[in-house]
Amino acid sequence: MNKRFKKWLIVTGVVVLSCGAVLWYLFTEKFEDTKKVKAHYTVHAIDLIKEFQQDEAAANKKYTEKIIIVNGTVSEIKNADTTANIIMADMNSGAYIIFAFQQQHVAEARQMKVGDNVSIKGSCSGGIYSAILETEKIDFKRCTVNE
Amino acid sequence: MKKAILSFALVLAAGLLFAQKKTTTSAVVNFDATTSIDQLPKAENKTAVASLDTKTGKLAFEVTIKNFAFSNPRIQDHFNGAGWMNSDQFPTATFSGSITNLQAVNFAKDGTYAVTVKGELNMHGVTKAVEANGSIKVSGKTINASSDFSVKLEDYGVTGGAIAAGKVSKEPKISVTAEF
Repeated sequence: MNKRFKKWLIVTGVVVLSCGAVLWYLFTEKFEDTKKVKAHYTVHAIDLIKEFQQDEAAANKKYTEKIIIVNGTVSEIKNADTTANIIMADMNSGAYIIFAFQQQHVAEARQMKVGDNVSIKGSCSGGIYSAILETEKIDFKRCTVNE
Repeated sequence: MKKAILSFALVLAAGLLFAQKKTTTSAVVNFDATTSIDQLPKAENKTAVASLDTKTGKLAFEVTIKNFAFSNPRIQDHFNGAGWMNSDQFPTATFSGSITNLQAVNFAKDGTYAVTVKGELNMHGVTKAVEANGSIKVSGKTINASSDFSVKLEDYGVTGGAIAAGKVSKEPKISVTAEF
């Protein structure tokens, strides 16, 4: 095996291993714990709801897939076997923000009570007008209590 | 006259108390498009809106596509991207239909009732007639509705390299549960 061929073999091997490592990383990567992720925005629940009601398209462009801290009052808590959702609603219009908690933080959500003033951090999935409920709703996923 | 007004008020109050249309903001929809090659395309959406009319059997669901939470960021991007669900253009999936054997369900009596649901599923801008089996569980004032079914992605215009390559199931399993 001559030197040139050996060199070529080593370089190819390094390239293949590097590509493999990158692909392995990309496909085994998991979303980080939201507690550790820096927020893009901090807002009050009612202000966020109003922003979506006034211009849903602009608000979706601004907030979708961003990490947002929302401060507000718990209007409703929806607990199921493995899930916990917290709702902050505008009592005048019925529009609401719903926060689905990350699995490791479901216990935090279950400690909340209706009427509590809380701060929740999560990934905003955007707002839509619900034809069923006839109101604007804003969805969040991978949520946690903001500390 | 006073008796008539009082009777009317009582009937109205009773009607409100036993409202036939029930809604929830927290129905759960699971999407499983995993294959033997790839176990990643699997997600849960915990904030679907659902309604059930216990008098007519009408059932409706609304799901915000971007709120399907995947464990892997890349798969999440692919799922929402133009090659898959294209959620920027089609932000929601909806179902509107009804329980076809409503007479088999007694909402006033605890029990689990097998039901068939028929209606229209709108996803990725395409509406198709669908039919699925499910169950209604009555427990006191709580009604749990659930169903498992599959959708053929091709029927809704969802195609792509990953599906053709066998990394994403052509007929992902969907499971829906709603507590009213």
